[in-house]
Amino acid sequence: MGFIWRRLLQLPLIVLAVYTITFLLAWALPGSAIINDEGRAPPPAVLEAMERQYNLDDPVVFYTEYLAGATGFRWLASRVGLAEPRPGAPVFDLGPSLRYEDWTVNEIISGTLPVSITLGLAAILIATIAGVGAGVLGALRPGSLTDFATLALAMVGVSVPTFVIGAVFLIVFPVWLGVGAVGAWGSPGDVLLPAATLSLPFAAYIARLTRLGMIEQLQADYVRTARAKGLSERRVILRHALRNAVLPVVSYLGPAAAFAMTGSFVIEQVFNVPGIGQHFVSAVRNKDLFLIMGIVLIYAAMLTLFNLIVDVLYAFVDPRIRQA
Amino acid sequence: MALLSAALAAVVASDRPLPRAELVYADLQPAFTLDPQRMSYIQDFRLAYAFYEGLLRWDNDTFEIEPAAAESWTISGDDLTYTFTIREDARWSTGEPVLASDFVYAWRRAVLPDTAADYAQLFFFIAGAEALFAFRAEQLERYAERPARERTPEAARALRRELNAWADENLGVRAVSERVLEVRLERPTPFFLDLLCFASFMPVHPPTVERFVSVDADSGRIEQRHGWTKPGQFTGNGPYVLTRWRFKRDMRLVASPTYEGAATPLSRTIEVRTIESPETAVLAFETGAVDWLTDVHVDYLPDLVAARREGRRDDVFWFANFGTYFWNFNCTPVLTDGRANPLADPRVRKALALAVDKRAIVDQVRRVGEPVAHTFIPPASLAGYDEEGAIRGVRHDPAAARELLAEAGWSDRDGDGVVENEAGVEFPVIELLCTSGSYHDKVAQAMQSMWESALGVRSGIRIKETKTYRDDLKRRDYMMARGGWFGDYGDPTTFLALHRTGDGNNDRGYSDPRFDELFDAATRERDPVRRYDLLEEAERYTVEETMPVLPIFHYVQFYLVDPRLRGLSDHPRKQQYLHELVIDRTAAGAD
Repeated sequence: MGFIWRRLLQLPLIVLAVYTITFLLAWALPGSAIINDEGRAPPPAVLEAMERQYNLDDPVVFYTEYLAGATGFRWLASRVGLAEPRPGAPVFDLGPSLRYEDWTVNEIISGTLPVSITLGLAAILIATIAGVGAGVLGALRPGSLTDFATLALAMVGVSVPTFVIGAVFLIVFPVWLGVGAVGAWGSPGDVLLPAATLSLPFAAYIARLTRLGMIEQLQADYVRTARAKGLSERRVILRHALRNAVLPVVSYLGPAAAFAMTGSFVIEQVFNVPGIGQHFVSAVRNKDLFLIMGIVLIYAAMLTLFNLIVDVLYAFVDPRIRQA
Repeated sequence: MALLSAALAAVVASDRPLPRAELVYADLQPAFTLDPQRMSYIQDFRLAYAFYEGLLRWDNDTFEIEPAAAESWTISGDDLTYTFTIREDARWSTGEPVLASDFVYAWRRAVLPDTAADYAQLFFFIAGAEALFAFRAEQLERYAERPARERTPEAARALRRELNAWADENLGVRAVSERVLEVRLERPTPFFLDLLCFASFMPVHPPTVERFVSVDADSGRIEQRHGWTKPGQFTGNGPYVLTRWRFKRDMRLVASPTYEGAATPLSRTIEVRTIESPETAVLAFETGAVDWLTDVHVDYLPDLVAARREGRRDDVFWFANFGTYFWNFNCTPVLTDGRANPLADPRVRKALALAVDKRAIVDQVRRVGEPVAHTFIPPASLAGYDEEGAIRGVRHDPAAARELLAEAGWSDRDGDGVVENEAGVEFPVIELLCTSGSYHDKVAQAMQSMWESALGVRSGIRIKETKTYRDDLKRRDYMMARGGWFGDYGDPTTFLALHRTGDGNNDRGYSDPRFDELFDAATRERDPVRRYDLLEEAERYTVEETMPVLPIFHYVQFYLVDPRLRGLSDHPRKQQYLHELVIDRTAAGAD
């Protein structure tokens, strides 16, 4: 179990490194963080006062103050009497949004991340079922029409951009067939179209992984043994070969799930899904420093944690890793 | 897998949709804030008129002024003191009466640098407002210089008390009694009543706002958190109350049970949706998910307009706007890279303007039929201002353009098709700065070929991302740059102030003593007719002679709207009151 501890200790260091690099890049973004680009220019005294308030006049202060707020140090300090008490302030304070002034970064993330997680999970669910199914079908008779069809479909899934597929789905289902709603999010049906669109590249990749694994496993000695001892073909495929064939799929699912759950700008735009992905992009465009840093911290924590979970799972599936 | 599915089902089930509201409309951008003093976007303003009621209200078809929270008002003989009496039945959504002191509180916070209101300067017409701003800025500066141990929460609170005492004494807004508000102005301001209808002048409920206010011991600033604009906390005095607001998603307005004024809501419930993708927004309208789309930004807009013109659609709606699309000339003598700026010569600017065929740009680039702009202020948008159309502006005339450019010393001396000055130096390539992802580069291309063929002036296009463009513009690191301006209040100065020397929005570095003189004379002028004459002359001078900007077209607003929707205004000031909007269920029309 030592390796889990080692990995757990690495976690904050990785997140800190990501935080530092992102901060340097975000600080260097051109333009002002507090001016409305298309709005009126407020008097210079107002701008100066605002920059002071948000520590935008001093990168070092911003870097440390933000870290103190986001990691809960400031909250802790106010608890033990080292800092001013801040009634109502959250433990992990990711700061205000500079662009959406009525919202804090905490509110934005807690409102949008669950949406992205829902969408991402649904997409991964669809991708796994469709991908593994298609992969097994293709592997049973390599070179057959079924195999060719699933491979072709997988090619389409990987290569056609999601904004094209998304737009086609929108026009075919809600507009032509009257099934589902455009730009809605809330009822269970609203998840289907965007999740299906988001799942396509994942499903395609999973299908190819499964197919390759299956072809390899079906030629293995133990499969021949299983068949020889008279097991039904169904049992051979599902209980014996598939188990080993999906190992690469499992290790792919970790990063894939994390990637799907951190939101997709394109899908959120096309289907008007109120997820977090769009903010990651627009925050950079708006130089909304607090929002950039907040989302990056959350993403970094999520991704490193997911990779850790996958490694742990892998260790249970494959004992060799535990000993390494 | 089972676990995943269960988690999914739980998340989806927890999100209970409400029944469809009586009116559903979609904006391409979310509301930024419901704090009226901090608003600066059109979709926020529209909500301000639903959630709050100012002292006065425009009739949004004629822009005449009507009583709202104030039932009556008097103006002193010297036009300096306005006294308002607030309706007896004016109520906050908590049931408490609306007090004169609520307006004092709201306007004071609008002025303070702590609030950082984009529109703080609109309040500087009030006596003492500009001084209050300066007083506070200086007070904070001195506070910041104190040693750390003297900057305590107690000291910051004392600073705020000192500020309030100063404002009580010197700011020209005073609650004479619970229902009587007295406003003294810095100087006579003929459009002051019009200003009072504007969202920035709405009252806020002090106890609600104060629950989220604290003073920052370190800087001495008043920190205002915005928790009070969320459902459950929010308090307004307008025809609607807020019952739901989900970030970048939707907002729900319900008729206020405590509102007794004239702005009776015709739709009891309204839902505002945010759909950021312009294409998806149009599809949402096409499938009937929204009744009104407040902006149409798709590439196929010309087809929608044509369909309406040919009678194939009845749901595309447009009207002229209180705004102008133009190109900025950098008017400063030296460019940021140290070269002399040929555009500093007004004759060169006018020659370039004369060579632009605006009609061709509108017809072939935009293709949606905006009115060609010869003036800066959209014609017929202000009652009594240049109603006879005497300001002609500059019309397309390539021959006159060549002549004027030659007069300025630039002509094609060696016959290579490019103009040179006397020393034989070629006219510098004009850099056209614009933002990415819109039609600006196409307008620039059109002007490029017009100048090349008519004048022998070459130009290049520099496309930048919005933040960088804005930066370049403010540093005047450009030669020509795309621009646009929408008026805020019903007076020519809402446009013309941009040309004043040193104005915060004078991105052109334009400084002309004659213009400043005309503008200042108008500011001093008490007679409204003579004042408008002075301003008309000031505008004529800038659009016919000195050309700090090159107007191309006046903006047009496009809606997609259910033909049964009643109550939309087509006045250029583009103010839609949500309380006047209602779907006429008895009318024929697509469902």
